[in-house]
Amino acid sequence: MRTSLSILKNCIYLLCSIFLLNSCASETKKHIPKIYTVEIKQMKFQPAELVVQKGDTVVWINNDIVAHDVTEESSKAWTSSLMPVGQSWSLVVTQSADYYCSIHVVMKGKLVVQ
Amino acid sequence: MKIITPFMALTTIAILSTVMLSMPAFAQENPKLSDAEVASVAVVANQIDINYGEIAQKKSKNADILKFAETMISDHKAVIAQAAALVTKLGVTPKDNAVSQKLLGDAEKTKKALRSKSGKAFDKAYIDNEVAYHKAVIAAVEGLLIPETENQELKTLLEKVVPALKTHLEHAIMVQNKLPK
Repeated sequence: MRTSLSILKNCIYLLCSIFLLNSCASETKKHIPKIYTVEIKQMKFQPAELVVQKGDTVVWINNDIVAHDVTEESSKAWTSSLMPVGQSWSLVVTQSADYYCSIHVVMKGKLVVQ
Repeated sequence: MKIITPFMALTTIAILSTVMLSMPAFAQENPKLSDAEVASVAVVANQIDINYGEIAQKKSKNADILKFAETMISDHKAVIAQAAALVTKLGVTPKDNAVSQKLLGDAEKTKKALRSKSGKAFDKAYIDNEVAYHKAVIAAVEGLLIPETENQELKTLLEKVVPALKTHLEHAIMVQNKLPK
């Protein structure tokens, strides 16, 4: 009887250990943030649509011939402010967003959080 | 429409006729415009739109017009600054010529007509002229200035300006459509 209980306990410990290890491994996977670059060039955000994960960083770099900005479109929740030529700006993405250049309002981009 | 037609016709016909008159130059071995003359036309064309924008800033109260005018002023100033830096680097002095003179002459007439208007009539005249002007300048840059430019750096700068002009045109059409009818 004692032997059976001992085996049962060991099995429970083993299962718990496997579960914990597995949880740690998937947590680690989730929190490896990536850095993406969006180039502003020829009056376009390139790429115009970017698929990322929550916590990833997006860096916009202005390689155009005029100043731009990067501004969340629906509620102006975030903005880079004026980005002169050659300047970059980064954002840690927390949710999907449509964005645009508030100087050249026809320039639009999209961030999609998976 | 009766109010804006003269502006559109004046500017568009003036610049496009200049381009068309210059077309035979493409068939010649020697381009009609030298790089120094191309640089002058480019600077003048940008400065004209800055001047239109400054008139708009003084005369308009429409937020979309004011925003558009501000963008025109800052973007065209940036292009002039880059053109100036390039010609300095290349040791080229922009040379006045028939095309830049024609542009300036027509711009004076347009500015006079713009200054004679106010309120909604001004807003409409200004943005209609911006649509027509950008269409004409895009045609001139693509059809005349780029093909006639020999220096590769100057040609590259002109090529980089085209997307900005096309974005300005798209923006102008958007503002035009948004104005109260």
